[in-house]
Amino acid sequence: MKIEVKNLKKKFSEEFILKDISLTIEKNKSTVILGQSGCGKSVLIKTIYKLFNYDSGSILYDGKSEVDTDKFSMLFQYGALFDSLKVSENIAFTDFINNKTKFEKKVISLMSDVGLDRSIYNKYPSEISGGMKKRAALARALYKNPKVIFLDEPTTGLDPINSDKINELILKVIKNRKMTAVTITHDIKSAIKTGDYYFFIDKGIIQDKGDCKKILKTKNKIFKSFIMGANLKS
Amino acid sequence: MKFIENIGELIIKLLSNLGKFILFILFFCKYLFKPKFFLRNNLNYFINIFISTLPIIALTGIFSGMVLALQSYTGFSRFSAESAIPNIVVITLTRELGPVLTGLMVSARVGSSIAAEIATMRVTEQIDALKTLNTNYYNYLVTPRVLSLTFALPIFVTIVDFIGVMGGYIVSVYKLGFNENLYLLNTIDFLSLGDYLSGIFKAFAFGFIISIVSCYCGLFSDKGAFGVGSATTNAVVISSILILSSNYFLTELFF
Repeated sequence: MKIEVKNLKKKFSEEFILKDISLTIEKNKSTVILGQSGCGKSVLIKTIYKLFNYDSGSILYDGKSEVDTDKFSMLFQYGALFDSLKVSENIAFTDFINNKTKFEKKVISLMSDVGLDRSIYNKYPSEISGGMKKRAALARALYKNPKVIFLDEPTTGLDPINSDKINELILKVIKNRKMTAVTITHDIKSAIKTGDYYFFIDKGIIQDKGDCKKILKTKNKIFKSFIMGANLKS
Repeated sequence: MKFIENIGELIIKLLSNLGKFILFILFFCKYLFKPKFFLRNNLNYFINIFISTLPIIALTGIFSGMVLALQSYTGFSRFSAESAIPNIVVITLTRELGPVLTGLMVSARVGSSIAAEIATMRVTEQIDALKTLNTNYYNYLVTPRVLSLTFALPIFVTIVDFIGVMGGYIVSVYKLGFNENLYLLNTIDFLSLGDYLSGIFKAFAFGFIISIVSCYCGLFSDKGAFGVGSATTNAVVISSILILSSNYFLTELFF
């Protein structure tokens, strides 16, 4: 699915978080959105997902303003697994709450796809590690076979080894399932590894965009200082 | 000038919150009659509330009944009206103390836990996750809690009434020297169905108040640990104040 965002503005209590965002998310490609904390990255993807309303501008999904959000899925920053449900019930959430019982085979297959051991099938989220939670949350996001997957900082809170594993997993899943992916990250290494195109947001506007493989050759000063880990107040 | 500005800001904030709360109740009513109804969720929640709250309300009931009998004796013995103690214990418990004390205890025990749980879900993006899984949070989170508590509270009040009367009986018979058969006979003879039902009606109202206020405070909490703490405190404080104030109007209704 191709998604076109034009002149998007979104404010929270009189303050504009997204000031004028225009970008295109290409079908079956992996788009990465970069920016420092609080620049509005999560607000942007939640607005595209229709979890938030926007103040002005437009979002077109394959040229139409209406979309069935059932085609979307999201991996949240900290997984957002439901604490009171087992891992398997989290993954098959929609079937589970509708009292459908035949989800075991599909859940086990998904758990294997995301590298989760069968032994955690009946465990609760509090009983598994951060990396496992991310994998379980990814399995939940894939359960409904989405056309577009939104990944909100998928490697946050993970050590470098686990971050790398999650990046490889995301790459594999996106390629195998031919999905459109939109990933939010601070991590340049992850962006280069998992993305096709990038957009860099600062102060509510797109400051830079381009090919992920050429991120390090950017000429944009603000993005350069972000890459170098400097403060963006230039 | 600054003082007036601050008062104006406070009034606007209060009215805005009141408007949001009314809209929340209207949405709850709208989704209450929508077909998506998670029966297992409702039943599980009802059982959880029941098991976790029963010991607390049982203790509340027995000690209230015991204290009531003792205090009534202190007053009534001054004008030789000790025989009215069973009547006073039963009518005070069923009409007033049973529903109000149960309401306050349940608000502290269950209301706070509802608000904390939902606020934590909000902070950890579980509410957003529900939306992405095409699940309406009114159906999944609010309705089970409101229905369970609204229907659990009358049962709790009935239990508190019974245990409270037994508390009064224990003190009256074993400490104050009442005849045990006469005490029970006086209690049963004096109690009318109207007394009991007025307490039950209050219990339905209090159950609804506690659950809807707690769900609202949780869903509209601020972010972070402070937000969860405030949501919990607000849920207990607001529902306790609403219980005490609405109690007057409900009492007047059955006066």
